[in-house]
Parts: sequence; structure tokens; C-alpha cells
Amino acid sequence: MRRSDKYRFYVILAALVVLQFSVRGRLGGDRVAPDFLLLALLIYTIRARPGPSAAAGFLVGLLRDALTPASFGAGALAHTLVGYLSSWSKAVFFAENLFVNGCLFFAGTWCRNLAVALASGKLKGGLLGWELLVWSPIQSLTTAVAGVLVLWLFGRHLAIRLSDA
Amino acid sequence: MALGADRYASRGDTFAFFGCVLLSVAAMSLPERIRDPLARSLRQTVLAPFLALQQQTELLSASLARYDAVVAQRDSAALAATFLPELRSENTRLRSLLGLGTRLSSGYVPAEVLHEPEPSSALSFIVSAGKNQGVKPLSAVVSPEGLVGIVSSVDAKTSVVVSWAHPEFRASAMAADGSVYGIVAPHGSEGPRIWLLELQGVAYRQLVPTGTMILTSGLGGVLPRGVPIGTVVGVAGEAEGWERAYLIRPAVHPAAVTHVMILTGPPVRGDLRALFESSGETP
Repeated sequence: MRRSDKYRFYVILAALVVLQFSVRGRLGGDRVAPDFLLLALLIYTIRARPGPSAAAGFLVGLLRDALTPASFGAGALAHTLVGYLSSWSKAVFFAENLFVNGCLFFAGTWCRNLAVALASGKLKGGLLGWELLVWSPIQSLTTAVAGVLVLWLFGRHLAIRLSDA
Repeated sequence: MALGADRYASRGDTFAFFGCVLLSVAAMSLPERIRDPLARSLRQTVLAPFLALQQQTELLSASLARYDAVVAQRDSAALAATFLPELRSENTRLRSLLGLGTRLSSGYVPAEVLHEPEPSSALSFIVSAGKNQGVKPLSAVVSPEGLVGIVSSVDAKTSVVVSWAHPEFRASAMAADGSVYGIVAPHGSEGPRIWLLELQGVAYRQLVPTGTMILTSGLGGVLPRGVPIGTVVGVAGEAEGWERAYLIRPAVHPAAVTHVMILTGPPVRGDLRALFESSGETP
């Protein structure tokens, strides 16, 4: 493993974070635009062990909760769960394939939204149904498409086994 | 992108996971007095550069939107500015007309010229006042600058006006000082000469200097006395040594008139010269 590859990996993750705070607002509504921050987390969890993935998810979720204090902690819990499960399930079940990774991004986004919705307790009844059956799938799809594009364009630089780093 | 199977959750991973879950639950149960300062401190430290980036992006986006709006407003203003001289001119003309109407006090009907897009529209045109407004045939039609023509026929709500450019137009006229009398008629019946008038029937021995204002004389009782017709610009011709004709530049061009006043009754004063002199502007 080359040291420059590890840097590129983190540069790509940083670029996704920058995209989250720069261009995401211009990619449609807040509920349908791809979640680049979650995408960075999921890409990180693909290569990281479950423990660091859970910690990364917790940090990402906590930072997001700072932006939405009304449901403080719910994001941290949701991202922790998604980070851990993504890393664990990727290691156990999934093959290294673009489509599979896309499905992982889709499921990760939808599960994150589900966990946030349930943990925050803000959405109930019809609103929860709309969120989980309409808006979340759309956002999951856009996030998955963005993730597949990132992997397709930069997959060579992302092929780093962080556990060995 | 080979994937090793060496990343099943170890005990340390499990501890880390449950630790994060516990921390998350603890964060959820934080009281507001602790939660808000914690969130604020995160926003002001770790998230500050990202929020600044987001703010700058929003500003840029708003600036682009505003730029489009400003460009659209500028284009609209530029388009409106192209009509500004015309509007100013019309406004000035209407003010003059209003002033003339005030000075006339009574015996007039204001009317709008209903221009038609035809070459002959300056010879005769329709105005938006007719019998219902008290307009009668042979009424004088004036603008603040001077004589426009006379009413030739009247309908209920409209009238047909024969302008001074019409080949059949004739008016009894005089020099402003009353020293010379004659008949004003169009200089020609076709071509550019149609837009000049001619003062005919002036005795050979009577010289009319260039620049002399020609007014209606009131003779014949059709047109009131003192309405400006135009200004002498030169000699049009001589006839057998006993008569001269003078070219007159009209005071008003019928094609440029949008509103007129039709004199429907006897004016307050016999000579209208003073009313038109105080209207000031001439084309």
C-alpha cells in the first residue's frame, strides 16, 4: 500500500464533505438531494473495521445533531448503527461490486433515515410513512447514484484496506 | 478492490460500538441547558469552516440569482428608456394642450387623434369626438402649436378632420402684424412639397420677410382669428409681376399630433393669438 493512496482516499472523503456544504443545496430539495456526508461515512466503513466505523458514525452524527439540535443524539445513534452495520455486513456478506456497493449506499441511507425518524420521535403516522416510503427512498437513490459515480470515478484510489494502515 | 475477511467485529469493535450507542443515548437524554451549549460549541468550532463554506455558497447562489434579476431589470429599464423621449414629448404636448384649454376657458372639445397606418393619414384623420360632444362641421382643429385643420364631417362619436396638408384645404391668413393678407393652401399636392404651405394672393408690392409668423385672419367666419399657421421661409413664386406666393413652414405637423382641441363655440376673446403665444413651444 502506498502512502499517497491513503492520502487520496482521505482527500476524496474530504471532497465529499465539501460537496455536502457547497453544492448539495443546488441539487434539489433538501429531502431528495444526495447526502454526501453519509456517503463519505459509508465509503469509509467499506474499508474500515466495525469499531472505527461506529466511532466515525457517532462523530458524524453528533456533528449533524449540532446542526439540528431539536433531535440531538438521534443522528449520532443512527449514524453509529449505520456505520457499524455497514462495515460489519460488508465484511461478512457483500462482494466487491459496484451494484452491491450501490445497494449498500441505498440501504444505509434509508436505514439512517429510519433510525433518525424513530429515535427523534418527531415523525409519526402519515408523516413517518411519507418520509420512509417516499422521501427516504428518493434520497437513498440519489445518494446511491452519487456513491456509484464516486466509486466508478475514483474506485482505484479508494481500494485501500484501512485495517492494514 | 479486494476485500479481506479479516474485519469481522472483534471484541474491541463491539465495545466501541456499544460505547458509541451509549454515548448517543446519553446525548439524546441531555437536558436542554447542556445540549444547546454543546451544539453551539460544535457549530462554533468544528463546523464553523463548513458552515462558512455553506454560507458563501448560498451567497454565491443568491448573487447569481440576483444578477439574473438585475440583468432582467436593466433590460426592462433599457426597453422603457427607448420609449422615454416619446413619452416626454407626449407629456409636454398634453400639458400644453391642457394649458391651452384652460386659457380658452370654454368652447372647445378635447379629442384624441385616431391615426391610421396609411400614407394619407396626415391629410385627413379621425378624432375621437363627434356630434355627441358638440362638434360641428368646419370647426377649427388646433393643437398648442397652432392650426391642424378643420372638421369636414361629423359622426356621433367621431369626426373626420381635414388637415392643412389636404389639397383642398384653404384658410384665410395674415401676417402677425396684420400688414399682409392672403390665402394659405398646401404648397403641392404630392411629394415632399405637400408638407409645406403657401401663402397666396399677396400683392407684389407687399414683401413678407422670412420668419414672419402667419396667423389665421378670421375672415370668412370659418376659422377664428389669431391661430398660428406657420412661419414664412421664403418666396414660392411670382405671378406676372402682380402677385407673390410665400412658402410657409407649418406650425404643426399633422402626423405628429396625438391630441387636438376642436373649437366648438365662440372663444372668449376675438383674437386667439395671445393664447397660442403663451403656449410657448413650437415644433
